[in-house]
Amino acid sequence: MWRRSALLGAALVGAAWSVASAQATPIPQTPGWELVMRCVMCHSVEIAVQQRLGPRGWSDTLDRMIKYGAPIPPPDKDVLMVYLLRHFRDPDGR
Amino acid sequence: MNDSESAKEVRAAVSRRGFLVTTGAALVAGAWRPALAAAQTAPAAIAGKEKLIVRSPRPVNLESKLEDLTAYHTPDDVFFVRNNLEAPTIDPAQWSLRIEGEVDNPVVLRLDDLKKLPMVSHDVVLECAGNGRAFHRPRASGIQWEHGAVGNAAWRGVRLADVLALARPRATAEHVAFDGLDRPPTPQAPDFIRSIPMWKATNAQTLIALEMNGTSVPPLHGGPARAIVPGFVGSASVKWLERIMVMTEEFNGFYMKSNYTAPRVDNEKEIYSLQSLEVKSLIVSPLDGAGVGPPGPTVVSGWAWAGEGELTGIDVSTDGGQSWAPGKFTGRGDRYSWRRWEFDWDAKPGTHTLMARATDSLGRVQPASRAFNRLGYRWNVIHAVKVYVA
Repeated sequence: MWRRSALLGAALVGAAWSVASAQATPIPQTPGWELVMRCVMCHSVEIAVQQRLGPRGWSDTLDRMIKYGAPIPPPDKDVLMVYLLRHFRDPDGR
Repeated sequence: MNDSESAKEVRAAVSRRGFLVTTGAALVAGAWRPALAAAQTAPAAIAGKEKLIVRSPRPVNLESKLEDLTAYHTPDDVFFVRNNLEAPTIDPAQWSLRIEGEVDNPVVLRLDDLKKLPMVSHDVVLECAGNGRAFHRPRASGIQWEHGAVGNAAWRGVRLADVLALARPRATAEHVAFDGLDRPPTPQAPDFIRSIPMWKATNAQTLIALEMNGTSVPPLHGGPARAIVPGFVGSASVKWLERIMVMTEEFNGFYMKSNYTAPRVDNEKEIYSLQSLEVKSLIVSPLDGAGVGPPGPTVVSGWAWAGEGELTGIDVSTDGGQSWAPGKFTGRGDRYSWRRWEFDWDAKPGTHTLMARATDSLGRVQPASRAFNRLGYRWNVIHAVKVYVA
């Protein structure tokens, strides 16, 4: 129970953070954007989106974050992958 | 669930899991609504650090602008900040440092205990291992530092060797690991712990620093006490020291075995944990894109450093690298500081590309290119700036 509540509270705070960061770093509100809240629970959105990544790089990074406790189950990872590659894929990225 | 209930739930979760460090701290303090309100504004510049480029507000990562790196001692207000984890809040009166592990006499020292040891001061340049990462092609993941994750300060403190001696390391002791009071945001994420070999730990210039440029080490720079490991990549100089572990082997953790590693030059399949900084120089005057005038005698200047090497030369090109002529080191310098260099240039009207190339006592020369490494380290490619003389 507390685990779910923690996530809810975290998501609320995370939502505020993503709004905050959106003013400096645009977070386009296309499908999947709300999953960015799961990232900003622990770090600024800037840390994530300045990464110069391609498909493998984003997948490896998400796997590492999931290992570290990011609440991103497999179906959400797929959605987030599509979102990140749509907006934050670097053509020179790995 | 209303706000106060959800706040209570989060508070409970925080205490159970140590989750949500920053936002959690605000909640515990009963500042639930203010925390939200504050979060809804754009990431603010950090107080006292407004001149720096914000690479990330959380954890705080700030880059110096080259135009601000004009003084031999980089002032606190323009000194870069690199944090892997969020900066802790520390009350110096409550602070203590444990020295444990492969020692015969584990000790706990408070600030007053440290201050009884001989105090020494050294000018040391600190550079983030990822400085210049933004220039790698293909792109390298990590904070996209350009030139400004570097600064030079006067660090005053006690010799790490003196502190270690109090704990009496055993003959088997080969490495010394530093753990700071910064903590990862989840229990599963790795703590920031870095180790250095004993030969470096016992070097007379390796410090536990209590002062930076004449004042207590500011909180963002690791106060009340941080390691200063001269010549090594910045991450070796762990901040907010809490625990020093004397070990028989290099510390086996993420920040030694995965991050801060690069492929070996002689065998790319193997990686090694970064130690010495590269030989490197920057042009800080004139700046890239500057208009220079009137034509005639013009001083080109900048900084150079060499990690474990010692600078032996600085060459400057004013024609995009076709020809080079020696510059000279000027002003003060310490064994592990940066050095100011100058080059007298007879600037002719037109567009020119200026370049600087440092060499050191280890036979290293700044290269024209750098082989890709996944994490974007070792960027010491010759710095070039384009200027317009009129």
